[in-house]
Amino acid sequence: MNWELIWKVVFIVVIGMFAVMSVLVTVFGAFDIKQLLNKLGEEDDDSWLGP
Amino acid sequence: MNEAAQEALSQTNFGVVDFTIVVVYLLISLVIGLMVNRFAGSMENYIGAGRKVGPWLGVATMTGTELGLVTVMYSAQKGFTGGFAAFHMAVIAGVGTLLVGLTGFIVGPLRRMEVLTIPEFYEKRFNRRIRVLGGVMLVFAGVLNMGLFLKVGSMFIVGVTGLASEGEALKWVMVGLLSLVLVYTTLGGMISVVLTDYVQFVVLSFGLLIATGLAIWKLGWINIFETVHAELGVAGFDPTAEGAGFGWTYVFWMIVTAGLIGSAVWPTAVARALAMESESAVRKQYCWSSISFAVRFMIPYFWGICALVFITSTAEGADLKGLFYPAESDESALNNLYAMPVFMGRLLPPVLLGIVTAGMIAAFMSTHDSYFLTWSSVITQDIVAPLQKKPMSTKARIRLTRMLIVLMGGYVLYWGLFYKGREDIWDYMAVTGGIYFTGAFVVLMFGVYWKRTSSFGALLGLLSGLFMLLGLEPIQIAVGLKFQKDEGEWEELLTSPQIGLLTVGIAVVLTIIGSLVWPDATDEQTSESLKS
Repeated sequence: MNWELIWKVVFIVVIGMFAVMSVLVTVFGAFDIKQLLNKLGEEDDDSWLGP
Repeated sequence: MNEAAQEALSQTNFGVVDFTIVVVYLLISLVIGLMVNRFAGSMENYIGAGRKVGPWLGVATMTGTELGLVTVMYSAQKGFTGGFAAFHMAVIAGVGTLLVGLTGFIVGPLRRMEVLTIPEFYEKRFNRRIRVLGGVMLVFAGVLNMGLFLKVGSMFIVGVTGLASEGEALKWVMVGLLSLVLVYTTLGGMISVVLTDYVQFVVLSFGLLIATGLAIWKLGWINIFETVHAELGVAGFDPTAEGAGFGWTYVFWMIVTAGLIGSAVWPTAVARALAMESESAVRKQYCWSSISFAVRFMIPYFWGICALVFITSTAEGADLKGLFYPAESDESALNNLYAMPVFMGRLLPPVLLGIVTAGMIAAFMSTHDSYFLTWSSVITQDIVAPLQKKPMSTKARIRLTRMLIVLMGGYVLYWGLFYKGREDIWDYMAVTGGIYFTGAFVVLMFGVYWKRTSSFGALLGLLSGLFMLLGLEPIQIAVGLKFQKDEGEWEELLTSPQIGLLTVGIAVVLTIIGSLVWPDATDEQTSESLKS
């Protein structure tokens, strides 16, 4: 088994996928943060209104 | 440390501008912690971000937690000593996480049950006593597991900044970093953790990629492979070869630890899954995170390999060769954990070095805050609260959780200064983590998928994890499993991976036997609770 070739291919493929994922997570993660803060903010406002 | 060593370790590109970048970055993190503090009013928000985390943010926070500075350090150490053969662990981690994402193995049912911690599942599935025992085992192993994080993280900072040449710098950096983490974690809980994980993800993922590209450009793609061949031979590529420091037993042990446990059972990863908005979001989070679970090992392995190549085959690194590989047998070699940070300090240009260092400190903080939060919330939710006669108020729980975080901070400082084991950091972590996860993995798996699993079987399964203590070097020496021969070489009767696999086997057998011999009276009731 040619381990050197296997690790070369695995390394290039994994790094390539990570580069793509980094861009996607950076962009869509920002939208998720906005949503999370909105939801928590709504709860926070509601808690001031009392039961 | 002699003068030549001091001179070699003080050479770095880290300067005032990098220091400024680090300070600004940390201030931003602190401001985020303060800003979201107002949302941390309920226990669900404090330890689970209100279960409102979307899938992409989930991937960022999962990566942020699991790609800690300690991961980078112990993985670089494995790459430095084992070469490309270490890559097998990265592949196992990635494939294992992907399989968990595709099947929902363990994490799917846990999210459906809407538990906040793993011991909470034990109570729903078995009873309160199992929850408390599970909590105690989890905290014992988890706290022992993070005992060296502070020291190893601080070694990166002093290595990359050139402070390693100063005798007392390591201790002061440890105290400084710990103070920072404690202030930050006690402020905002999981919400601030999730948000700073995102910032860390963005900074660190691009930093990792650029630094890797620079390392290849500097050392040469072909030269890297040729040097590993020259220094380590076939063992530098084949994980099953003699002399690689791995072998088949080690590979199987990694399938259990890095593959299944790291993603499906390890509480800090599961805590992220349980904070997600839905089960489908959990699965999506795991599928995407499989890439970062592989990368979190692979890139640091590669950096460790590059450090080896830099030290052994370049003129710029020649002054370091004598430190890591002393010519005289009576000279002691410099701890090889320093190899990667010292290499990075010389490779990366100013500004980029500051950004990567800031990202690494953020990674250090994110791992620490997440671990502190996970273990302290388990003590509060799963040990102290269930044992109280009156229900604990949310305020009391959050206050106790914060106090425990500070106490744990004191412990990691103490342990980092005084632990004397000489095993690789990754092996130390696999063994200490194994005290919890060998038993918990079996009990969770059987508890979720085999309705006849009883409380007594779970009790025996959880306690089996204590066999893992025999994998720690000081204990191995104390009980005679490891001893020094007359020629001065060390001999092991049972290696840590062998003890780990044996412990998993014992946990499986005892859980099955215990469940069959002493079944619970309410099998129907437990299977109903799982369905719901």
